[in-house]
Amino acid sequence: MCFNSLFFLFFFMLINFFFLVYFIMNGLSVFFEWENVTFNSMSIVMSILLDWMSLLFMMFVSLISSVVIFYSKSYMNSELNLNRFIILVLMFVFSMVLLIISPNLISILLGWDGLGLISYCLVIYYQNLKSYNAGMLTALSNRIGDVMILMVICWVMNYGSWNYIFYFDFMKNDYVMFIISFMIIIAAMTKSAQIPFSSWLPAAMAAPTPVSALVHSSTLVTAGVYLLIRFNYLLIDMFFFKVLLFLSILTMFMSGISANYEFDLKKIIALSTLSQLGLMMSILSLGFPDIAFFHLLTHSMFKALLFMCAGVIIHMMNDIQDIRYMGGLSLYIPLTSLCLNISNLSLCGIPFLSGFYSKDLILEMVSFNSFNLMVFILFYLSTGLTVFYTFRLIMYVMINDFNLMMIYNLYDEDYIMLNSMFVLLFMSLLSGSFLSWFIFSYPYMIYLPFNLKLMVIYVSILGSILGFMVSNMSIYSLNKLLMSYNLSSFLCLMWFMPNLSTYGLSYIYLNFSQILFKNIDMGWSEIYSGKGIFNILKNYSVFYNVYQMNNFKIYLFSFILYFMILFIFFFI
Amino acid sequence: MFFFILTNNNSNKMFFLFILFFSTLISISSNSWFGCWIGLEINLLSFIPLISNSKNLLSVETSLKYFLTQSLASINFLFMILIKFSLLKNFDMNNIISIMMNSSLLMKMGSAPFHFWFPNIVEGLSWMNNFMLMTWQKISPMILLSYYFNKNFLIFMIIMNLIIGSLGGLNQTSLRKLLAFSSINNLGWMIFSIMISENLWLFYFLIYSMMIFMMISLFFLMNMYFMNQLFINNMNFFIKMNLLINFLSLGGLPPFMGFMPKWIIINFLLINKFYFLTFIFMMTSLIIIYYYIRIIYSSFMFNYFKMKWMNLFMKNNMFLINLSSFISISSMILSTFIFM
Repeated sequence: MCFNSLFFLFFFMLINFFFLVYFIMNGLSVFFEWENVTFNSMSIVMSILLDWMSLLFMMFVSLISSVVIFYSKSYMNSELNLNRFIILVLMFVFSMVLLIISPNLISILLGWDGLGLISYCLVIYYQNLKSYNAGMLTALSNRIGDVMILMVICWVMNYGSWNYIFYFDFMKNDYVMFIISFMIIIAAMTKSAQIPFSSWLPAAMAAPTPVSALVHSSTLVTAGVYLLIRFNYLLIDMFFFKVLLFLSILTMFMSGISANYEFDLKKIIALSTLSQLGLMMSILSLGFPDIAFFHLLTHSMFKALLFMCAGVIIHMMNDIQDIRYMGGLSLYIPLTSLCLNISNLSLCGIPFLSGFYSKDLILEMVSFNSFNLMVFILFYLSTGLTVFYTFRLIMYVMINDFNLMMIYNLYDEDYIMLNSMFVLLFMSLLSGSFLSWFIFSYPYMIYLPFNLKLMVIYVSILGSILGFMVSNMSIYSLNKLLMSYNLSSFLCLMWFMPNLSTYGLSYIYLNFSQILFKNIDMGWSEIYSGKGIFNILKNYSVFYNVYQMNNFKIYLFSFILYFMILFIFFFI
Repeated sequence: MFFFILTNNNSNKMFFLFILFFSTLISISSNSWFGCWIGLEINLLSFIPLISNSKNLLSVETSLKYFLTQSLASINFLFMILIKFSLLKNFDMNNIISIMMNSSLLMKMGSAPFHFWFPNIVEGLSWMNNFMLMTWQKISPMILLSYYFNKNFLIFMIIMNLIIGSLGGLNQTSLRKLLAFSSINNLGWMIFSIMISENLWLFYFLIYSMMIFMMISLFFLMNMYFMNQLFINNMNFFIKMNLLINFLSLGGLPPFMGFMPKWIIINFLLINKFYFLTFIFMMTSLIIIYYYIRIIYSSFMFNYFKMKWMNLFMKNNMFLINLSSFISISSMILSTFIFM
């Protein structure tokens, strides 16, 4: 099954690549439409839009998924129901492709809901309590976005069809479009885990690592960004876009800080994904959709590679995910640490790797165009934080002393996993330059003073020094986190925002309902309606029985007495 | 009933039964009050031999009690008739004489507040005699009631009937007493319906007597007098279902037959804005249905024991039982097809 899907998806990628090159060179885009039903004024159509953006994204998605499926052949080889897993991943890829190629809100809904549902199935794949909780959190957070898209479908019925692409230029100042754009932004925020909804992404690391590599690095979480890129012409003057800017910058900053306090390998990578997503959303909301798209694609390459390397390391350490148990692995697993290093440095934006092209372009655009001070500071600070946690990760995992937790398991010759990582390695080295020559027909004009230009490098060097210093652990070092416990827990637990989605939502209501149940259902309501009324009636019946069980002559005499009283009262 | 009489070689009981029927006809079709009284007396005199069985002490005592109460009521009735003739010259129904006449008729029927003899006597009679007492004996007092009634007095009596019928039955385990209190409750409905129209009363009475007949014949065939005799697993499924359906129908649960007359009365009540009275009708019906359902779910769903020494073998009588189930279930629905 893995081989078949590998070849099928790789072949699909090649087809996409071919069409992509042809379409970009000739400036083509193709729009298919099948009309299903037309009733009164609405028409339900199935449409497919193939322009360079969707072909490019499809190419990247199919490449990553083919590689990940091949990787999971070795990663999950002890799984009895591997076919089930592969089928779930394939259905996920299918829904993603459906989302990518659709200019129509109904088929976007199909893809969007499919993504949410299948990511839930994949997150709960290991059936333990933690996966169950994580899956519930993922599914319900994504459900909010699904509801928003459903409401958008309702509102777009004002316009006659669900092909939103046709309405952007004509309906920009309409009130209905205002509402639609608000809901689309919230839907994208739930899917891409921006600030109010950001708690599901670190929790979803309970999924198997190939799922994380495919879903939580490149496809599911970028679906929101992709939706906003498609809707960009509509949203660009809206007020909520500025709100989105604010929230995504804060997401970027917060996840960068939280990643520095984390000690779980996959959670660090998840928080770095969250930080990069914030970066993509913020540059999108500043008005540069193509740069956001560029960063989306390059990020997907090296993040998938990073997750896969993390998977190899986890396998090697016999399922330990805590980085404090790892150290000095670069000596023993050279090829894997090669991939890890390159993906990490690409994440930091080291010159001429793939991440550099997109990140540097973003930062220079932020400096060049006049935005406010907070935007500027948070962007550069988050870049520095990225370097900080990356270097901390590299120090902990690869450079510090070998912790002797596992010796016999250091097996680097698993060529199935390594080959899949090499494909992504190749792409993560080259995709930056390749995409920048491909997408941008002319480069952006950026003219900056010297120090501002080098600001990126200053911040990176600062971050790397800090990362080096923080990870110097020895036997004698105090846990300084305990001295600033309040601040540390605030920063580590993502500013306590997961409580919004988990504890805060359920505890208050469950507590209240317990109070109601104990006091009313099992309390007063029993007296006033259940047993209480029964007792009253029973007492009445017992009381009546006293009158019933009497001597017969008393009864006959009472009848006579009744008549005597009637006579006396009314005849005298 | 006839079958029972024929099998016991009691042809004089047949004779007295005939006179019983005839006496009711005398009572309701006479054009003077004196003739009504005569009918009531003949009714009493012909019912006593039906219920007395000199071999059984309880039976004797029961017939004595019945004789005493009914004769007291008849004496009162006669006296009130004479006072009415001598004192009143106009036909005005809402006066003291009509209260006293209605009181004596209510005592003959076994309606509250003069109902205390009714559960006692019902406890002492066999099932078929109970059936006579609960259905046929109510006809002539009811119709006489409709000739000269005091509206306010009767409505008060109706409310008392309903409440006593529902509350008294809560604490009973004897099936006869249960049906007695249910009969008192239904008397409340019937008195109200006779105040509306005689046709409506006839409808209610017929359906009520049919339901009572089905239940009593079932109890008679199974020879059950107490509630704990219902908790038998050996019963045929159809008999159990029939019992269930008849209990629910007697309580007035739709879609069974017993709901139909109550529905019509409630309709009348609501259209003419008798809201408080509707409330009392509803609530007491609820209590009655409560203790029927209590019996049903205890006996058919929970308490379930099989006795080795008693086998209830009822294969030969199944036609009538099935027919009665069918009638109870479907008659309300089928009755809507009549007017098509």
